[in-house]
This record gives sequence, structure tokens and C-alpha cells, in this order.
Amino acid sequence: MHVRIRDGVTLDLLPTKKFKTIGIKVDFVAPLQATAITARALLAQVLETSTAEYPTQTALARQLSRLYGASFGISVVKLGTKHVIRLTCSVVDEQYLEQYQDTMPLFERGMALLQAVLFAPLLPNGNFDPTTFTQQRQNLLTAIKSLDDDKQYLANRRLQELLFTGQPAQAMSALGDVTTLGELTANDILATYHEMLAHDAVHVAVIGNVSEKRVTTALAAWPLAERLEPTTEPYYRWTARSQVQAGDDEAPVVQAKLNLAYQLPIYRSDADFLPAVVFNAAFGGTPLSLLFTNVREKASLAYYASSDYNPFTGALTVQTGIQAQNQERVIAIVTEQLQALQAGKLSAELLAEVKASLLNARLASLDSPQRQLTGALNSGLTHLQEPLTHWQEKLAQVTVADVQRVAQQVSLQATYCLHGKETGDANETRV
Amino acid sequence: MLTKHAYSRLGETVYQTTLENGLKVILIPKADFHKTFAVMTTNYGAIDNEFVPRGQQQAVRFPDGIAHFLEHKLFEKEDHDAFDLFGQYGASANAFTSFTQTSYLFSTTNHVRENLDILLDFVQEPYFTAATVNKEKGIIGQEIQMYDDDPGWQSYFGMIGQLYPREPLHIDIAGTVESIAQITADDLYAAYQTFYHPSNMSLVIVGQLEPETVLAWITANQARKTFGPNEPIQRVASPQTPAAEIVPQTTRHLTVTRPKVSIGLRGYDEVPAGRAGLHYSAAVSLALDLLFNDTGDYYLRLYDANIIDDSFGYDFQVQRGAHFAQLAGDTDHPETFVSELTAILDDAAAQLVAAQEQFDLVKREAIGRLIGAINSVEAIANQYDGPLFGGTTIFDELTILEQLTFADVQQALAAFLAASQRTVYTILP
Repeated sequence: MHVRIRDGVTLDLLPTKKFKTIGIKVDFVAPLQATAITARALLAQVLETSTAEYPTQTALARQLSRLYGASFGISVVKLGTKHVIRLTCSVVDEQYLEQYQDTMPLFERGMALLQAVLFAPLLPNGNFDPTTFTQQRQNLLTAIKSLDDDKQYLANRRLQELLFTGQPAQAMSALGDVTTLGELTANDILATYHEMLAHDAVHVAVIGNVSEKRVTTALAAWPLAERLEPTTEPYYRWTARSQVQAGDDEAPVVQAKLNLAYQLPIYRSDADFLPAVVFNAAFGGTPLSLLFTNVREKASLAYYASSDYNPFTGALTVQTGIQAQNQERVIAIVTEQLQALQAGKLSAELLAEVKASLLNARLASLDSPQRQLTGALNSGLTHLQEPLTHWQEKLAQVTVADVQRVAQQVSLQATYCLHGKETGDANETRV
Repeated sequence: MLTKHAYSRLGETVYQTTLENGLKVILIPKADFHKTFAVMTTNYGAIDNEFVPRGQQQAVRFPDGIAHFLEHKLFEKEDHDAFDLFGQYGASANAFTSFTQTSYLFSTTNHVRENLDILLDFVQEPYFTAATVNKEKGIIGQEIQMYDDDPGWQSYFGMIGQLYPREPLHIDIAGTVESIAQITADDLYAAYQTFYHPSNMSLVIVGQLEPETVLAWITANQARKTFGPNEPIQRVASPQTPAAEIVPQTTRHLTVTRPKVSIGLRGYDEVPAGRAGLHYSAAVSLALDLLFNDTGDYYLRLYDANIIDDSFGYDFQVQRGAHFAQLAGDTDHPETFVSELTAILDDAAAQLVAAQEQFDLVKREAIGRLIGAINSVEAIANQYDGPLFGGTTIFDELTILEQLTFADVQQALAAFLAASQRTVYTILP
């Protein structure tokens, strides 16, 4: 059920008795701007740490324990042309507890906690507590740097930077960049906080055994003013390059990470969206895919070889973990698979299998409270509220020709390889 | 005949039985769920590398990584791959190998019977040849190298290696590029015949299902196959590292942004058998929560002093033949990290008493988290530890947790720590 609470504030309520918990998600959605990403990431980190009522991590952690291990967190997400600050809280449905003596149910307690976090943060003297601010800025800094220890992540970051050269907001991670972070002050974060509360579009979603009345009553206590409805679409549209950007770095890795980026200019609201999803599943999105079968199973060149399609940015990426000296062979095999799909070479069996797999994944997502809550935002941003049966019918109708039409729009934009020193046989470099 | 155990407050029911061939079957229906998740597990993992092959007299030492290699190869048959059979129905399939178990699983939202037959058939009908075995060496070699580049993995297994230098636990689950090079099809058959007898396996199915119907499907499938008699498995007992031999500290350099420290504690006490083992495990875990989670007073002090940060974590694991705790995190002050945390461990009994007023909170949190896990069919199925904890399920674990007292927690921690041995594994940039 989709409700407009007031201008710029919506609620999706997903009532169900199948879960033991009630899940709450609140998204604050702003236009994606390179200058604001880092400040918003730091704001999320600071808000997550404490509130006026629970002024230390310990006090906040104890409150969460008191609420029977309520999970609570704030994350940041990039979605096309939007930047999302996402608060989540999940509480146990108290009917499953041995004894629950509090007069206020856990859902209302959870909503009260989110309200405290959002509207009554720790602001001694009208600004964020300096100690908390400095510490969380440092924590975010080390967190961003530590992410590079994950070499698959690092290779993907470098690929994004290469793909979106000169487009800083798209090139940047959702956590921002370390240079900007080092210069941010508590005043900057305070301004970002007020901006977020006043102007961001707000999407609330709740899933579990809870009535609309309880949700709207709890929400009515939140001082959320009406705000302008966003007018820009969530899709990032960009011009493809004629020249492929190639990059590589040497790092002390045993296994090389070879990643490729393509443009696939089909977006979530487009008529060809579902064929694009099917294309990706056949190309590299599933273990049945051409990439998995040919790079891994047939050529034994990789443990992982897969593709990802982002219907908000129109980017398609391929990631593989290989031996550096096999780079050209792997690129050749990946290219062959794409060319096969562009030539309409997709067996009826594989098409049927990837469709079955997509249907399975869609139905399975209905068993996950988190995925249902996340899905609510996608529908909110794209204004697509499609019944499952309708989606199923459209999926069934996707043909080889549809997939071929999509594949023909795919163009290689960037290649990136993170590899070790070139010493010949990689086995000899093992320690 | 299925025996039925209802957990009325939770609205959950567990059905179980043991088939004539010895296969344990556990069925847990989840009303309103779309998914059906099935996992078939053999009580055989990476540490079981020396045993008397079924039908032979002499113990044989097999190459490291054989259980994991077998897991990979079981999918491939003479003229097809089991992945593709699942794929026809859109089901997703996977498998994983741990130190003591190997599991094969699928998740589907339709055609449960067909998928179940595929699972039972590919696990119970091995096909290994020299050609297919050799082909897999390239893929697994890349898998091993992927983990070589993962500092978090290196830190965790580095710590375990320090605690169990003589036991096979110190060997990477996947083996090494060198050890897997030696694996032959005959080795795989020997391991398979020894450990994949139904009497050494369990099949857990959770989600959209009707218990009697599903049992009939399983029984019909099993009736089509013949299995040898149920013979006892003869593993060669692993050597045990004397406590005095455990190296207290090792430092290694890797390309990491910040130092990673892992403190490991190996228990030398005896974990009680069966359900009591789960009670012990839950009690020690709760003790660690009291000593080290973010509701503790020390936590804020160390956090504010930049000794620990959000990367800090701890856990307690009980496996067949081994149990250990780990405290780990990234820190710019590895020496202080170690000295502060070991000070708490050295003074654990008193620290626990000091934290007693948090007991109710910490217990509430553990209960709530476990109830939350019941949302997931995968979590319910994976929580089943088979013979290790006497066939208990996640619902039994909740009952045990609800009944735990502070005295239980004190007692379990004291038993664990009294005979424990510590190591510190540090990775520096």
C-alpha cells in the first residue's frame, strides 16, 4: 500500500504475518552532487553514533539491547542521479517473546528511536559534539581507505573512475572522497543535516504485522514538513565514448582482477528494461550465463566471471579474477560472448533458464523483509507500481530478438586490470 | 514415520525422521513463504584428510583440500552438469566445504520435487575421471589465489593456524595449488565411498513444503538406489598440539591499509556432547557478549581512545574436535589493542561479575537476534549442526538461550578459559 503523507513524503506499508520482525526503512533522497556526497556520508556516520537522549555509543547500544536486539543502522546509497541516506530499524514482533512487559510495543519503540536519531541528535551548544564529530570523521576516513584492502572492490572502484572520467559524482563512491572528508567541519555537517531534513524527498517503508493506523500515528509525531516533489528523473544519461579507456595498476596481488565497463543505455522505466535484465542474466548475471560457462567452466580461466547491470546509470560491468598473463584470452572470450548475443545466438534452453531463474529470484525476494523494503524505494523513484503477475507476463514474452536488440546497444567503454608484478608463472610467486 | 515437534509460541514445527538407509531428514514448513531451501550435508570436511577408506584395512593420508575438491567435482557428470539441471527450473544451487562438513544446497520457488531429485541424485551418483579432475585444478587454483589476496581471510586463518599447528585445521580448506595437483579420481572415489553413505548425512528442507508429501518424494528417490551396509567410519585421530607449543604471537606483513589484529583462544576443555554442547556454546557466546560487546563500559573507553573501532568483532565457534574464540579488528595501535583486550581476558571472572547488571540486556539482544534469524529459511537450515549438538535446531537454541542464567554463563566461561591457550596474529602494512 502506497500512501502520500504530505508533499514529498511517502509511506509504503507492506502488511504480512510471515515474519517474526517488523522492519522499518526511511530514505532521505537528494540529487546526487559531487560536492555533497562526502558530507552526507559523514552526516550518516555521525547521526548513527548517538542522540541527545542516548549521548554515547554505549547508551545507544544499550537502548537497542533493551529493545531485544533491535537492529539499527544508517547507510548511504547512490542510485542514478540520486543520493540516499537510508535509516533502517528492525524489531522483533513481541508476540514471539517469552515475556514482554513494556506497555509500549517494540514497533512504537523502534519508531521513537528513529525519531530521536533524526530529530533530536546530540547537538550541545547548537552544533554536533566536537569529539564525536572528529572521531567519526576519522573513522569514516579509515573505513574508506580500508575498503581498498578488498582488491575486487578496488578494481571495481578504479573501473568506475575510468568509466566516468570528468563526471565526479558518478565516479565517486557513495562514501565520498578522502580529500573532501579531511576538510569537512561540524558546521558543514550541521548545514547538510538541516538541508536534508528540510528538502530531501522522504520515503518511509514498513513491513510486518502492523496496522496502517499504528504506522501513521507513529509517523505523525515526526516533525517532517512538506517539501517540493522532486522533478528530475533518477536516471543518469551520458554520451558514450568512441575510444575505449584502458587502465591498469600494479599491486601486490596474487590474482589479477580484470574488469570491463560497457554502456547499456536502457533504464528502469524503458520498454526494453526487462529484456535488458534478461540479457544481463544470459551474459554474466547468473551461474548459467555465457561468461560463467565459457570463462570458468570451459576455459578454466577464472573462479569468478560475472556481469552486473545498473538500470539507473545505464552501465554494464564485467568482473573476473584471473592470472595476469591470460588477460587477452579472457577479454577475447568475453567479447565473443557479447558478439554471440548481438548476433542473436542465444539458445532457447538458456533463454528459458535465465527467465526461470529471474522469476525464482523475484519470488524469493518476497521472503526477504530487507529486499522488499529496498524494492519499495525503486518503485517510489520510478513511479512504477507493477503487479507481480504483470511482470511475470512481460518476462515470459521476452524473445531472443529482444535480447539481441538490447545486446546491440552495448558498447565497450573501459577496461581495467589490477595485477601483480609480471614474473611469468604466477604459481612461483606464491608464498 | 515423521516425528513432530511443535514450538507453539513461535508458530513453528519441526518434522524429522531417519530413513532405513540412515539418512536423517529434517523438514520445517514456513507458511506463506515462496521459497523452499534444501541442504544436504555430509559429516566430512577439510580436516578429515586421513582415514581408512571403506572396504580397505589401512589408513591413507589424502592430499590437502580433497573434501573441497570433491565438492566441486560432484556437480559434473558424464554428460551434464548438475548446475544446469537446477537451472532448467530456475533454481539456484550451491555448495560449501567447512572444516568438518560439506553441504550441497538449492533454493527454489517451484518444482520442489524435481529439484530435490536433482540434489539427491547428483550427490549420490558420483562421476570422476582423470580429465574432469584435471580441468578443475585451474578453477580451484584461482579460488585459492582469490583468498590469498583477502587480508581478512588471511588474518582469520592465520590465527587458526597458530592455534592448531599440528592439527589439519591449520591447512587451508581448499588446500594449496601444490596439494590439489596430486588429487586423482581414485582419491575422490575413496573419500566419497567412505563419507557419503546416507548414514553419515542429513537433509534439511525449510520453507514452502508439505512434510508428508516431501518425505514420500525422498523415500521414493532413495528406494531407487542401493547403498552398502552402514559401516563405522575410521578417521585417524589428528595429532594434538600440546598447549605449551602454541606460539603466542606472530606478525606478518601484507598490503593492508591498517594493521589487523586477531586474538585467538583455543579451548582445551571438553565440550559436552549433544544438546549440552549447544548450551555450552550459547553460554560462552553470551559471556563474550558481556565482556566485549558495545554495551560494555570498557568498549567506549577503548573506542574513544582509538584502540578499537567499528571493525572490532568477536565470535566463538564449536566444531567437531575443536572450539575457539576470536577477537579481531583493525587498529592503529596493535600493541595496546592486545594488551587492553588480554587484560580483560586475564581478569575475566571479575569482569564478568562487574558486567552482571548488563546480563538481562545482553540476553535480550541475543534472543531478539535469534528470533529475527527465523525470518530466513537459509538461517534456519544452516543453524542445524547435525550430530555435533544432538540434532538440535534454531528453535531449541532459542529455548536454551531463554533459560540461560548468569551462573551458567560464569561456569561455561570459567571452564573454557581455565584450559585455554592464546595466540595473537598481527598483519602489518
